[in-house]
Amino acid sequence: MGETPYWNPRHETMPRVELESLQVRKLRTLLAWAAEQVPWHAKRLADAGVSPGDVSSLEDLRRLPFMTREEWMEGQLAHPPFGPILAAPEEAAIRYHMTSGTTGRTPIRVLDSMKDWEWIAEMWCYGLWGFGVRPRDRVFVAFGYATFIGFWGLHYASEKLGCLTLPGGAMTTEQRVRTIVDMEATVVASTPTYALRMAQEAKALGIDLANGPVERLILSGEPAGSIPATKALIEDLWGAKAADTAGMTELGTIMMFECSEQPGGAHVIEDHYIEEVIDPGSGEPVPYGEQGERVVTSFGRGFIPVIRYRTRDFVLKQPGSNCPCGRTFDLYEGGIRGRVDDMKLVRGTNVYPRAVEAIVREHPEIDEFQIRLYTAEGIRDEIEVLAEVTEGDAVAILEQLGKELAGSHEGLRFGVRRADAGTLPRFELKAQRVLDEREVIGGEGERRQT
Amino acid sequence: MTKLTPGERALADCYEQLKAALQEHADELPPFAARNARKALAALWQVANGLDLDPGQLYDSGV
Repeated sequence: MGETPYWNPRHETMPRVELESLQVRKLRTLLAWAAEQVPWHAKRLADAGVSPGDVSSLEDLRRLPFMTREEWMEGQLAHPPFGPILAAPEEAAIRYHMTSGTTGRTPIRVLDSMKDWEWIAEMWCYGLWGFGVRPRDRVFVAFGYATFIGFWGLHYASEKLGCLTLPGGAMTTEQRVRTIVDMEATVVASTPTYALRMAQEAKALGIDLANGPVERLILSGEPAGSIPATKALIEDLWGAKAADTAGMTELGTIMMFECSEQPGGAHVIEDHYIEEVIDPGSGEPVPYGEQGERVVTSFGRGFIPVIRYRTRDFVLKQPGSNCPCGRTFDLYEGGIRGRVDDMKLVRGTNVYPRAVEAIVREHPEIDEFQIRLYTAEGIRDEIEVLAEVTEGDAVAILEQLGKELAGSHEGLRFGVRRADAGTLPRFELKAQRVLDEREVIGGEGERRQT
Repeated sequence: MTKLTPGERALADCYEQLKAALQEHADELPPFAARNARKALAALWQVANGLDLDPGQLYDSGV
């Protein structure tokens, strides 16, 4: 077979009817495995009156109970350290990881075997290959290589592809930038925020990244990889194309990737997952083109069966045919659009951090920003954006930003203040730019939602 | 069931043979052979899975 844009051509271009038939078959196998190996799953299926052999269509999926992070964490607390969800003996594991998620009081702890790790890398291969990464590439991984699963899978995928893999752990940002240039890396993997941070550092060092060796950026870990203004800024600063991907510790790897056509969204890896989109309130499915919460079922990680897991991620699904790449895998337009739990209610107006970022990033003069919510005069919710403006007329830029933020939030008044350069926090992983210092939580009329 | 090309069929056969070799002879193999065979089986499982051969799980074989 000659050069192909697909990692698994048969599956990625499979007619939808056949693809769904494959998913149903894999679902039956998964349910049988989970019921046989995990009493916790067996009870849930029995309580729902479902026997694996009964499943004959994707519609039957809706008969299965949702699985939540809260249940998972409660299970861990009751049966430490891993909870009652392991389908294989701990001795079969070769690696431990935990989530660094931005919600929840307890980390989720996971184990994987040798086969599972090959599968984790396999999912990243769909993304790397689909975005044009090839064995001739040199892949720099700007990542801390610790218990957060992050880009571990990408590292192994890069090796599997035959790329020269450059691990970027335990380095300062300056060292990373210099290594990228000195080693002539053609691909860089990082969070969107850290891609911006490295670009700032390069500028401070007098390094012209835009005319450097990097051709592709693989972004993950934050929704910003699909925010058009942020992505455009990253591509401009690096002189490279950027692809969004998204994954979760609960799955061990990515479940969607952006192909080289850059259709403004990411393809779901549907031969390894079933992704449902539901109304987070009712739990009912929503159609193509309507935003909802993604619910994932994974066929790949046998060690921890994940069945109808409520991710709390907002997505908007579109048919794969919306992308000219030829894949039949559905698309999540705009990638992960935010978290169900992220929404802030400020004086009756819904504020999503992603939406604020999309507006801020239209101003490339702003290097870093922070959203701060606080209580004024003991009763009133206020919101302000602190911004480091490093170029241009800061007063005019911030005035314009304030107008744009209000204009896109039903007239809600945003305070906009200048922060001194370098004073706002920088992030390597999962940026947390929202500082909620309001005093009242909930209360009459639910005037606040955190 | 997927119709396999000759190359895919050969890899699917490799997977089955390697799996059987480990199930039947793992205890007789020296460490270098047993552990490298497991590593290879983990990779070949991805091939069998990608070809829709329903390769099952390998935890009993330590993979």
